[in-house]
Amino acid sequence: MANIALENLTYTYPEAQAPTLNQIQFTFKAHQFTLLTGPSGTGKSTLLKLMTGLLKLPANQGCIRYNDQPLTTIAATERAGKVALMFQNPNQQFAMDTVENELIFALENRQVPANEIQAKLTAALAFVGISELRERNLSHLSGGEKQKVALAVIVAMDSDVILLDEPFASVDPAARASLLKRLIQLRDQAGKTIILADHDLTDYETLVDQVVRITPDRHLTAVPHADWSTLFADFARTGQTDQRWRLPNQPAKPLFQLQKVALTQGRHRLLQPTDLTLLRHHNTLITGPNGSGKSTLFESLVRLTDYDGQISYLTDDIQTLRRKRYARQVALLFQDAETQFLNITVAEELAQSQKYAYGDYFTPARITAAMQQLNLTGHEDQVIYTLSEGQKKKLQILLMLIMQSPVLLMDEPLKGLDLKSVQALVTLLKSTIAETHQSLIIISHQLTGLAPLIDYHLRFEQQHLQYREAL
Amino acid sequence: MKWAKAWQLSDIILIALIGIFFGAIFMGTNYVYDVLTAALAPVGLSGLANELLLGLWCMPGMLAGYMLRLKGSATLGELLAATVEMFFGGQWGISTLISGVTQGFGAELGYIVTRYKHYDWLGLTASALTTTIVTFGWDLARNGYFKLQLWLLILYFVVRFCSMFLFGGVLTRLITDMLDRSHVLKSTHTN
Amino acid sequence: MNPSIKLLLLFIIALEISFSLIISLNIALVILAIGYLLLHHTKCRTIGWLLIVPLLPAIGLWSTQYINGTGNKTLMAWVLFTRIYAFVFTGATFTLTTNILQLADSLEQNWHLPSKFAYGVLAAYNLVPKIQHEVKIIRAAGLMRGQQLSFWSPKLYFKAILVSINWSQNLAQAMTSHGFVEDAPRTHYRHCPLRWQDWAIFIVGLGLIQLGLFVIPWS
Ligand SMILES: Nc1ncnc2c1ncn2[C@@H]1O[C@H](COP(=O)(O)OP(=O)(O)OP(=O)(O)O)[C@@H](O)[C@H]1O
Ligand SMILES: Nc1ncnc2c1ncn2[C@@H]1O[C@H](COP(=O)(O)OP(=O)(O)OP(=O)(O)O)[C@@H](O)[C@H]1O
Ligand SMILES: [Mg+2]
Ligand SMILES: [Mg+2]
Repeated sequence: MANIALENLTYTYPEAQAPTLNQIQFTFKAHQFTLLTGPSGTGKSTLLKLMTGLLKLPANQGCIRYNDQPLTTIAATERAGKVALMFQNPNQQFAMDTVENELIFALENRQVPANEIQAKLTAALAFVGISELRERNLSHLSGGEKQKVALAVIVAMDSDVILLDEPFASVDPAARASLLKRLIQLRDQAGKTIILADHDLTDYETLVDQVVRITPDRHLTAVPHADWSTLFADFARTGQTDQRWRLPNQPAKPLFQLQKVALTQGRHRLLQPTDLTLLRHHNTLITGPNGSGKSTLFESLVRLTDYDGQISYLTDDIQTLRRKRYARQVALLFQDAETQFLNITVAEELAQSQKYAYGDYFTPARITAAMQQLNLTGHEDQVIYTLSEGQKKKLQILLMLIMQSPVLLMDEPLKGLDLKSVQALVTLLKSTIAETHQSLIIISHQLTGLAPLIDYHLRFEQQHLQYREAL
Repeated sequence: MKWAKAWQLSDIILIALIGIFFGAIFMGTNYVYDVLTAALAPVGLSGLANELLLGLWCMPGMLAGYMLRLKGSATLGELLAATVEMFFGGQWGISTLISGVTQGFGAELGYIVTRYKHYDWLGLTASALTTTIVTFGWDLARNGYFKLQLWLLILYFVVRFCSMFLFGGVLTRLITDMLDRSHVLKSTHTN
Repeated sequence: MNPSIKLLLLFIIALEISFSLIISLNIALVILAIGYLLLHHTKCRTIGWLLIVPLLPAIGLWSTQYINGTGNKTLMAWVLFTRIYAFVFTGATFTLTTNILQLADSLEQNWHLPSKFAYGVLAAYNLVPKIQHEVKIIRAAGLMRGQQLSFWSPKLYFKAILVSINWSQNLAQAMTSHGFVEDAPRTHYRHCPLRWQDWAIFIVGLGLIQLGLFVIPWS
């Protein structure tokens, strides 16, 4: 239905010196599923936003055509019928309170007559398999569920072209597999054109029609079929990791002790009363499906959320510790990188962390080296809020490492990172904690590259939190 | 100065969000208010608690006016914040809305009298002054201030102005200076 | 009743009682409002709560007039005391029986408020719970980086504004990609009619309050 042609596409952010996209020539064929990859910060999000018209392409900077019709000449009210974008961040992508109301809102925008809305809404929810979420409050849904709703909205709007910007970055493997299945159905049965940007290439090899890469010099090239096997080789298929971890033997040094700790959100029980010990000077991985309560557990550990039972840090009940002192002992790396930032430029952030750091491992020389390692050199004066998602994540982790609090809780530290960055990061983490003896507790859906760092594994599932040897 | 610039969807969401955020921060100051009110009630000066903290509550309007530099942004900023507050645990109901309008319009007036040209100390001071005057005028009626003794009225007025100037003026300026430096507003607002 | 008409009526009532000095009128309004709330199945606990919350400010206003007032101090003290309750209870008849979505629908459909205002504010409103939590998070994040952020720290507000800017852009982009176009026509799934009955209630209500203000000798 719609070929998409990018002609001489060039884009420079007003605040940036160099163009983010440079003279791009490419045609995406209709009814195909294209996987778009490329290192962090090469402009995938920028390209997708340009293709939906969310970023305005300045005149004479090239042209984007849908079936020969330039995007700029398609009426704003028609655009959503042509092309829809699903975002990386599952939050702040809905205007309304409930799932049903959001779908109604979208259909009203498309000027669907009131008497047809009901049927379309029901069909879209059924197609994605989330009919039971219909009346749920959007803010009470887990990340994976929100992404499913976002897909349902796109299905209901019936857009020809579906663009997805790392839609699975905070989605568990099961939800991811189910979303992928729907996308394939949309291509095969409804003839949609799908372009999906992702770093984690797990599972795509047999599903996609073509793989397109943004090269470091900002060009688009299709990866020849012959090279696919090497490209996908690094990514084990989901569920096939045969990684094994030890179970902790008890009389080790406790870091946190949970006594009859139970977690609830609203009327929803997340964790049955549980006794558990987390160990000091070891790194623990926590896995579990979307919405099982992993982030809630972290928030309880740093006293941002209420819980039942008692949590002790080393020897003290954490409720008895002074907030300020405790915050210096146990720091949380938030799921959303921006939460961690307090200043304006990268350099200011680095300076602040250095100033208040708990230890002196991070000398200026070590920081420079780390910046280099993480490929952030040259961004020192950039305003943090203009960094790409992956760049933000790397900076966030570096900032918290510099702080050197004895315990670092990391919520999805690999979110939105390409494989190179993951490897660089894991190397940095390993070399740092070998010297600083910090304890890490890590929540992650994405395991590729993370394994060398992990000593123990906790599974958070179905209201239970237990040590497990395997996934 | 871009006079004709119309309200965009993201501007509207932005000032509503700022209003809500600030409201959520001020909630933490409620205990200050309660303690002061209770302590001053026996001597009949409990209004001072309100006067001292009112600048905080008027801050979203003054800040929206100063930050967005659109005609009506101060009024709208305060009004949207009040609308949300009315529905969300606002036990003061409709009077929240009326206060919102008076506070917002008071702040706006300062920018009007400086012809939307003085986004500097003059504009901020003018806005603090007009906010004080307008809200005070309203309290003469609503809170029965017109029946109070003159010395008390003067005291309240002076305290209120100081609060407006400190929170709505100085604090707003410090915040917007940081914003200017971060360039985050640049892409949408060119002045 | 049509939400915007109800809001207008209550707005006028609130304005008028701000200038009136009739204690019995205030009390009558409170009683009427409680009746209305009970008719709409409001829990007694909620009503009790509405009685307790304004008590401190009401006492404050009362004592200010009683100690530092001029003229008939007692009268004025009680006028202000009861006025606060009149505000709270008339207001509650609106906020406890109407939600913001209904008001937005009505303003958009009956008064042609541009949909960007209606949906912009709705989108922000739906984030209120997240925002309250986010304030706690901002403070905690500050502490973890060695900085205490109290309510007079510019950085706290700066952070809040940055989050607002970011969220507002995300939301606006998401709404756009959900087909929302400023000032473009839309269809309406939920109808919010403006009937003659609404106008009738409005006029009767307005008449009654004038009666209470100017005709009935309350004392
Ligand atoms: N508003 C902006 N102003 C200036 N530079 C920007 C802005 N937004 C993005 N950039 C820069 O443009 C480049 C491309 O960013 P983009 O978000 O498109 O990358 P990406 O390929 O999606 O990366 P990631 O995989 O990390 O999400 C980055 O180097 C980023 O720093
Ligand atoms: N106020 C609330 N009322 C009801 N449920 C809520 C509320 N807030 C959060 N939840 C739900 O609680 C559950 C736990 O959320 P949490 O963020 O801890 O999950 P998670 O395991 O970190 O998931 P993810 O892998 O997606 O990050 C989710 O289903 C979430 O939607
Ligand atoms: Mg991106
Ligand atoms: Mg989580």
